[in-house]
Amino acid sequence: MAYSDKVLDHYNNPRNVGSLDKSKASVGTGVVGAPECGDVMKLQIEVEGDRIVDAKFKTFGCGSAIASSSLATEWLKGKTIDEAMEIKNTQIVEELSLPPVKIHCSVLAEDAIKSAIADFKAKHGGAAPGGKS
Amino acid sequence: MPDCARCSAALTSALVCEACGALVPGAAAGDPFAVFGLTTAYTIDARALRKRLLKLSRLLHPDFHGTAEAAQRELAAHHSAELNSAHEVLADDCRRADWLVRHLGGPSEQTERAMPQAFLMEVLEWNEALEAARGSAPGSAPRAALGALAADLEAQRRALLQSLNRLLEPLPATGAPALADARRALNALRYIDRAAGEIAELVLGATAPR
Repeated sequence: MAYSDKVLDHYNNPRNVGSLDKSKASVGTGVVGAPECGDVMKLQIEVEGDRIVDAKFKTFGCGSAIASSSLATEWLKGKTIDEAMEIKNTQIVEELSLPPVKIHCSVLAEDAIKSAIADFKAKHGGAAPGGKS
Repeated sequence: MPDCARCSAALTSALVCEACGALVPGAAAGDPFAVFGLTTAYTIDARALRKRLLKLSRLLHPDFHGTAEAAQRELAAHHSAELNSAHEVLADDCRRADWLVRHLGGPSEQTERAMPQAFLMEVLEWNEALEAARGSAPGSAPRAALGALAADLEAQRRALLQSLNRLLEPLPATGAPALADARRALNALRYIDRAAGEIAELVLGATAPR
């Protein structure tokens, strides 16, 4: 299958690969998987105040899954939690020109963002994110 | 199942009349149990399945219908292919469970996709172990660690197959909650099989020249 240039770019030069300390109060971790293909994606955010200052990912899966999570971390940095919640898989599909059979990869990335934010919020008592990290 | 249109005997397979050998016209609606004339159940007797396969293969074999008109020969070829796909579903514990969960209106892997975080973290760790092993020489510690991981995966696989057996035997009612549990077990098996397959590939690749 032919990957778009943007997918290939993220696949060959993935941005923000790695891990943040998941035990830190300021870090939210989301791990999601796609049972259809066995792909698994970990996405982490580090939050200061209500702003995401760092994002890392680790994805074991196809090129589109890697590109989707790489792009997601790029977009997350500098956004507020509320802005991050607005990221939709369709935006990832559009940016990377993903074909229909790879749309589930973008869904996985959106799920990972939501899951990381949920984890961060849970660490802060489920309350709206504030400066108490 | 209806009676045979030619000899009126009760049909024991959705594809062929075992009394007179007449092919049942039309497609068999994709029910592998009806194709084999077996009771719809998760537990299957492998020997009985094999026996049915041999008997039905012979009755459906295109050579057996070699002198019949073209439409009949084509039907025989089509039914033979259907018999083989039905056998693939019935002979595989995971595929048989998957078929039953769908048949009983249970969730698909798309709708019941969420897995516990702890399990997904574990999947991530398997993949990290695989990644470390790929980057190291045969005989190194990361390679050696794969042996223990493979054994662990095999143990988990056995446990999941046992829970599938508990969930699907006796067969739950249509739409029962046990079907969602069975789907999650099948999802977990998918992750396990993929990791186990990659380990096997790496281990074999290390000993055999590419």
